[in-house]
Amino acid sequence: MAETLVVAEGLGRVYPGAVPTVALEGVSFQFDAGEFAAIVGRSGSGKSTLLNMLGLLDTPTHGSLMLGGRDVSRIGSSERAALRNELIGFVFQYHHLLPEFSVRENVAMPALIAGRRLDADLTKRVDETLDVLGLSGLGGKGANDLSGGQKQRVAIARALMNRPPLVLADEPTGNLDTESTDAVYDLFRTVNREWGTSFLIVTHDQEIASMTDRIFEIADGKLSQDVRNEFARPTRSPSGDPARP
Amino acid sequence: MLPLKIAWRFVRSSWAQSALIIVGIAVGIAVQIFVGSLITSLQASLVKTTIGSSSHVTLTDPKDGQPVVYTERVQRLVTTTTGVKAVVPTRQVSTLYSNGTDRVPLTVKGGVLGELDRIYKLTPRTIAGTASLRPGEIMIGKDLAAKYALAPGDPLSLLTGSSRTTLRVSGVFDLGSSAANLRQAFSGPEFPRGLLGHRADQYTAIETQLTDPFLSKTVAAEWAAQLPTVKITNWQVENKDLLTALQSQSGSSYLIQVFVLVAVALGIASTLAVSAVQKSRQIGILKALGMADRRTGNIFFAEAMILGVTGTGLGVLTGYLLIAGFTAGTSRSPSSFPIVPEPGFIAISAAVGILVAVLSSLIPIRKTTRLDPIEVIQNG
Ligand SMILES: Nc1ncnc2c1ncn2[C@@H]1O[C@H](COP(=O)(O)OP(=O)(O)O)[C@@H](O)[C@H]1O
Ligand SMILES: [Mg+2]
Repeated sequence: MAETLVVAEGLGRVYPGAVPTVALEGVSFQFDAGEFAAIVGRSGSGKSTLLNMLGLLDTPTHGSLMLGGRDVSRIGSSERAALRNELIGFVFQYHHLLPEFSVRENVAMPALIAGRRLDADLTKRVDETLDVLGLSGLGGKGANDLSGGQKQRVAIARALMNRPPLVLADEPTGNLDTESTDAVYDLFRTVNREWGTSFLIVTHDQEIASMTDRIFEIADGKLSQDVRNEFARPTRSPSGDPARP
Repeated sequence: MLPLKIAWRFVRSSWAQSALIIVGIAVGIAVQIFVGSLITSLQASLVKTTIGSSSHVTLTDPKDGQPVVYTERVQRLVTTTTGVKAVVPTRQVSTLYSNGTDRVPLTVKGGVLGELDRIYKLTPRTIAGTASLRPGEIMIGKDLAAKYALAPGDPLSLLTGSSRTTLRVSGVFDLGSSAANLRQAFSGPEFPRGLLGHRADQYTAIETQLTDPFLSKTVAAEWAAQLPTVKITNWQVENKDLLTALQSQSGSSYLIQVFVLVAVALGIASTLAVSAVQKSRQIGILKALGMADRRTGNIFFAEAMILGVTGTGLGVLTGYLLIAGFTAGTSRSPSSFPIVPEPGFIAISAAVGILVAVLSSLIPIRKTTRLDPIEVIQNG
């Protein structure tokens, strides 16, 4: 039986204000290590809010959240930062690379934040990660010297750098063309299969969602559906090596 | 170390902005060092001209014209007080120098040459003839010598009351002030003693110099308490106006320095504030990747240190160059004085410069620490 990674119980988030906004309400589910799932829902339904709480960027106002067997519902900001660094890899709609740093340094950043030095050992690991993402030889370039698709793949390499058990992706291909989008999902799938990394992917794209093993649907801040997708299509494109799109 | 590395990249990525603020800090610190050193040196030079060759604390008799008695007790007291570097008992008479046509007043101070040297530095200031005060000899100033064409070896006729004495000029000195060079002369102890009718232990004044002239008030008060029958004066009371002027000059110099530092602080603070806004996206993503709030604040602390240390270093260098340039440029002028760069003052200025940089990083540090990464991340 797979290890339980996330346990959410009655998870809620209310934004205070003159008229408080209930962004999320009573969300309960379990999520195991190695799962590959999509979160779908209308714009403004609360998908990002949920993802931010799972990623320890935000704290729930209601309910409880266990991550890796630990209750993280009410922990302090420095503890959240340390856990984020260790357990979570983020991929956002925008790549959010640091333009002041090289591709290699960007990818190494989560390890540098964890206190490692960019020595030969770490450089080797970064370059291996870049190879997996089809970015061989680009490590020395500036983060701004790449194409949009390449930048997003560097951001994915960065998310995978610390080999986190959970990758959270918030509309990761919203800015990419179909070809790049497919390459990104193939990559996610490969990493999921080979490294056992869990993925939770917020997406608008029904076809993308249909390629995942489990689909969460959020409506008006509530978890309206949680379905297993037994017939997940392995990939939209015919076939091929996902590492070299 | 990572915050420092990131700060360095931030500084480099907006290098024109960084260079401007570094130059700004450098100019501020250079001005601070130059103005501070200028005022200090100017004052030191003024004080030195005023009291370098005069008595700091003087013992006389309370009644005008009466001799002070230099008892063993007095001697023990003044010579054993710490901070006293010279004690010179002197006798002084007012005479008229007459050269047949002219009669000009001339004050003759009598004492032992070796002792007088300790205050008046006659020997090193002798510019013609020899420094010598044997019986029958007199040393005169260069302005008197020039005005009446007197040279070493010449006789000098002096009138005191009804008597006339002729002494021989042994040497000509330059005390650095034309008034003193015209009106002041020195002889051995016997000449004024004979005229004044003093006993061996009676003097016009016991003159002293202190290692730190600004202790003259304290020393004078201490002696006055021990010697109630002796009148004790000190230069700080007698030159009150000069000291008041120096003090208000120091005051305005401090004010200038404070304004300069305020300008430097505002410069760094605004640069860092701009930088914190410009880099908020990077800060947000670093936080999302797991950098703790406090460490992201350290980035701007490190940036302040980089700008502050570089700017201050450059400013100290420029300050030294300005001082050297000023000293070289004015060295030919007769009234010039050297600006002495005081390492202590410069070290304090540099430390204050860096401290100001650090303090002005507090606001961006607070802002950065509180930045919510979600806000930045969701707006690409
Ligand atoms: N910082 C905030 N303050 C107040 N309301 C917010 C804030 N962030 C999000 N919301 C609200 O919460 C709801 C869910 O937002 P979000 O999770 O971003 O939706 P989605 O990602 O599904 O489009 C929306 O109604 C949104 O307006
Ligand atoms: Mg969203």
